[in-house]
Amino acid sequence: MPGTGRQRRRHFVVRQTEGNGVQGSRRKRKVPREEALAALTPLLPKGRSLAGKMEEGKAYSPDGVFAHLEMLEARAHEAAVKQEATEQQEEKLARLKARVQELRLQRDELRAKVDLQQKGQLGKEGVVSDLAQPSARAVLEWKIKNIKATLQIFYLTGISGKLTKRGVCFCISTAYEGTYLDSYYLDLLTKPEVQIHRHSVPIFIPLEQIAKKYLQTDIRRFLSVLSDHLNAYVGRRYQADQLQEHFSDQIEGPLQRNSLCNLLVFNYNVSSRSKTFPFNVRLLYGDPCGSLPTEVIVSCTPDAPASLAETAAAHSDLFRRVALHKAFRSFSGTEESVDGAPVGHPASPQ
Amino acid sequence: MDDGTCQVYEDEIRLLEEEIKLLAEKYEDGQQESTSFSDEEILMSIKSFQREFQGESKGHESPSDLKAQLESLETDLSFLMKFTGIQFTNHSKKTVEKSKNRTVQKHRLSGNCHSLSFQLEFQLLEMQNKENVSAVITDLTIIMESGDDSDVRKFVSSTEEHGNLLTFFRSLSSYAEWYEHRRRTFLHFKVVY
Repeated sequence: MPGTGRQRRRHFVVRQTEGNGVQGSRRKRKVPREEALAALTPLLPKGRSLAGKMEEGKAYSPDGVFAHLEMLEARAHEAAVKQEATEQQEEKLARLKARVQELRLQRDELRAKVDLQQKGQLGKEGVVSDLAQPSARAVLEWKIKNIKATLQIFYLTGISGKLTKRGVCFCISTAYEGTYLDSYYLDLLTKPEVQIHRHSVPIFIPLEQIAKKYLQTDIRRFLSVLSDHLNAYVGRRYQADQLQEHFSDQIEGPLQRNSLCNLLVFNYNVSSRSKTFPFNVRLLYGDPCGSLPTEVIVSCTPDAPASLAETAAAHSDLFRRVALHKAFRSFSGTEESVDGAPVGHPASPQ
Repeated sequence: MDDGTCQVYEDEIRLLEEEIKLLAEKYEDGQQESTSFSDEEILMSIKSFQREFQGESKGHESPSDLKAQLESLETDLSFLMKFTGIQFTNHSKKTVEKSKNRTVQKHRLSGNCHSLSFQLEFQLLEMQNKENVSAVITDLTIIMESGDDSDVRKFVSSTEEHGNLLTFFRSLSSYAEWYEHRRRTFLHFKVVY
């Protein structure tokens, strides 16, 4: 029974199909009740008419018939919808399949092209048949790409930049050993005098001081000194980040640091005779252009055995000479510290 | 199950599209890296390009746009070389590995800083993570002209060990200036005495 809860309509809806069976327009034609009744008479058992049934007032009452008609209509509707959905799905699948074939072909062609190119390069360096007759546009585009690549290299040198209408925009890149880190921008105006228009240098770097000292007299020196400050800051930050990332199991509690990363305070665990003791360390980097601490204080708790005092001293010395994360790496690695003196192990997870 | 099949096709389509994109880039890189045009060829191309496409745009950049771009880049490059004192005489690179998030390129670079010449080779690994691209230098080898100096040799080998390309260039600048200054002073004394 159609349980749609919709109101009984006094007319019926007929789907119209085109003669060739394609459900083209699917126009719905409203059919008056009498016509519907007349059309449905053949469905009733033989010998009875709807009018007669109306008189009997039983299952073939007008309401019962309409309910039946509605049900039939709903069924037909459902079947049509299902049919349509199936057809759509099939179409979609066929489309997807065709697309896959198309892409596979494209991919195989490209693969062959690249392989050929590689073989060509191994054989004769610099000769590629495809570019036998390069267009003028292709040559220019090659040159543009080529220059852009060289400008990229300047990025690796630490100072790169771009001329602007009113001056020049410098980019200072920073790195810790082989890993390039943040880059900082300085938009300089050159007239009437050299001045900083905009920049992305963090506020805790003494940019104004450095500018006051060097910007007017020696831009190169200015950039060099600024680069020293920035690289040192980034280097200190990198060491602290590496410590937190790779040695968090040895660190107890939070790693406290300031924005300039020149003051670090944290606790780490040291084991001695299968017991662990917390060490507290305070690192002060007094030189703004330095990435090693100038002051190190390593202390242990009062209940720690006396032998650990030696360990604390050794660690203190190590932190002064070796980058923080490398110092911790040396703890978990060998029995000895870098200079050969025995060092207590920081505790590692069981 | 139709939905399942659809999903399988859609996944494959996505993978294929990514692969095609990568292969196309690889091919482009290969073309770029294995070709070389002389300055004359470039000049000739600029002239003939302007003649060929007078007023035509064809959906690409117009010849005057390309020419302007080229000139702007060349000006930037010559400014940087003059400003930093670092001149690159030769640069070649080869893409060794390329995947969705990772590119490895082998670079060969030669040049000089004031009167000190150098030759470098290194691998540059670029990785795309969520927010940015990270760059790491590995396999750095440095050949310096004045490699006889023991200080220079120590500096070079420590730089090579840690892949310290940035430090190399930063130190090179100041060392080269000092070296230049020393050389001039020496020559001055040579002349005077």
